[in-house]
Amino acid sequence: MLRNRTSNQAHSSIRDRNGACISVTNLKKLYGKAKEFTLDGISFDVKYGTVFGFLGPNGAGKTTTLKILTTLLSPTSGSVYIFGKDIIRKQSEIKRKIGVVSQNPSFEANLTVERALDLYGLLWGLHDSMVRKNKVNEILRTFDLESIRNSKNDELSIGQRRRVQLAREFMHGEDMDLLFLDEPTVGLDPSARRMLLDYIKKHVMSGLTVFFTTHIMEEAEYLCDEIAIIDNGRIIAFDTPTGLKQKYGGANKIIEITFKDVLSQSFVELLKKIIIGSKNSDGDQKRGGITTNTTSRIDLNDTNPNAITITVNNAEEVISEILQLVSKNGMQIESISINPPSLEEVFLSIVNDENNLKDNERK
Amino acid sequence: MKSMNDYIVGYSIILLVYRNIVAAIDKMFLIWQIAFPVVYIFVAGYAYSALIGDQGITIGSLTVTYVSFLTAGMIGFNVMNGSTIAGAIIWNDKRNGMFQQILVMPFNKIQYVFANLITLILIGLGSAAVIMVIGFPTIFYDINVTLWSIPYTIYALVAGSIFFGSFTIILSTRMKSSEGYNVISNGLFLFFAFVSSAFYPAEGLPQPLSAAFYVNPLTYIVDLTRAGIFAQVSMFTNIEVVILGLLSSAVFLIATRSIIKMEA
Repeated sequence: MLRNRTSNQAHSSIRDRNGACISVTNLKKLYGKAKEFTLDGISFDVKYGTVFGFLGPNGAGKTTTLKILTTLLSPTSGSVYIFGKDIIRKQSEIKRKIGVVSQNPSFEANLTVERALDLYGLLWGLHDSMVRKNKVNEILRTFDLESIRNSKNDELSIGQRRRVQLAREFMHGEDMDLLFLDEPTVGLDPSARRMLLDYIKKHVMSGLTVFFTTHIMEEAEYLCDEIAIIDNGRIIAFDTPTGLKQKYGGANKIIEITFKDVLSQSFVELLKKIIIGSKNSDGDQKRGGITTNTTSRIDLNDTNPNAITITVNNAEEVISEILQLVSKNGMQIESISINPPSLEEVFLSIVNDENNLKDNERK
Repeated sequence: MKSMNDYIVGYSIILLVYRNIVAAIDKMFLIWQIAFPVVYIFVAGYAYSALIGDQGITIGSLTVTYVSFLTAGMIGFNVMNGSTIAGAIIWNDKRNGMFQQILVMPFNKIQYVFANLITLILIGLGSAAVIMVIGFPTIFYDINVTLWSIPYTIYALVAGSIFFGSFTIILSTRMKSSEGYNVISNGLFLFFAFVSSAFYPAEGLPQPLSAAFYVNPLTYIVDLTRAGIFAQVSMFTNIEVVILGLLSSAVFLIATRSIIKMEA
């Protein structure tokens, strides 16, 4: 069950009785002339003081969900409560307490960075000019924007503009209880990216709730307390990052082998036979390398013709067979490692399974 | 806890108007707003005066110099130019992502529309005031303002701002590219400017051209502006008041609908 209504860290003055900062129930959205469901009855809760990752391939329904949650779109049916308030009827109250960093850039072209932050603070209700000035200085320091404080937004690089866009949301003052981040690190260099993620973590520790979408799984793993994966308008997986790995990665392991020699096509074919012919930990025969909830496969390394990556859920058994095969063929192994699957592997596995299931339904 | 400002009706609109003025107006726009009419008044005004001679231009029962006639016309003309800022604000907000960003803040589309309306009226009146000050030496001898005539000028300036501001808003919400927006708005504004009584009187023109003048709202704006400044109010002036009011209301309603339908 996707819904998880356990109470969490108390932090907000506007906490609702269920303890959920965002509560979405059977949300549907019909779009376009074809009247197809972009969202097909999704439900989930986001707890206060947590980072909720909302992941999915392009066109899965992430942006539509985000637009509904941030009041830009109306749902076709279903209900959305934020801070325990109905998103349709209490829009203006909700909007006072949320911050949004959208995927697309937004900026005041004619204003300097400092002036833009100051204006944003005023729009958010920081009326005292001294308070605003101090806040602007703090934000400029935190987001490493001091060197460009007098540059106009129009003159900034994409990465700098992105940093200003993010920094601007923190001009909200103490009132922001929920922050929507839609792929916020696009265009940022690694150090700026890490700085941002750490800054968000710090705010989450002091009570901020974050709704986070990204295509970078490392970020999701680093930041998120819970993750929902959406595909074709439906939520297909929901858990903590560790829970997702356990549940959907199962006993899967990634075996990385580097041979001393270049792999021949015939040897790769023999390896494939081992993988496809092996049984998984439950003793079920895999067909076409695909198990019920994961994909066993061999990936050749594009940059190193001696290396190979194998994904299976009965690693020990497969390794023993590979070692026999290597010995029989007079090959030599330079290195071998066994790793648990990354969140990216799990994500790909879940989405591929969903697509396979859909293809089978169509057939 | 709510602050005092939360209880002021339309405080959000005031904030957005302030934002429009701070963020949307750049120095080039202000320079253009002043330089363009000044060139017309002091170059075209005196150059054409030499052509026309001493006969002047008749407005109602009054005869004024061509420079006075043109200065009064330039007030209406500058209101039209200034109002284009409304379209530019929406165009830039769309292009720079600020339209969507404003709507996820504690503002809604209606407040956004009214903030733009107030901004363009303020800019229209500001532009008119600038021309009035700059052109005052040229109009000084002919000016004949009365308490009952000046409301016609103010009405013309406000209604004119609304008409042209709304017109550019409609264009900016419909056009997909900045090139298209610029080509169409420049083309239409060229028509508005020169097929109007801003630069020359409609009386004595060939019938088709005279009729074309009265299809153009700028003609009503400058006629009413002159009626107020030179205290020449007639029955036809009041008809022009009604026509301009109807046109501005209709265009404003279409503009409001366009913004409300605009997807964030």
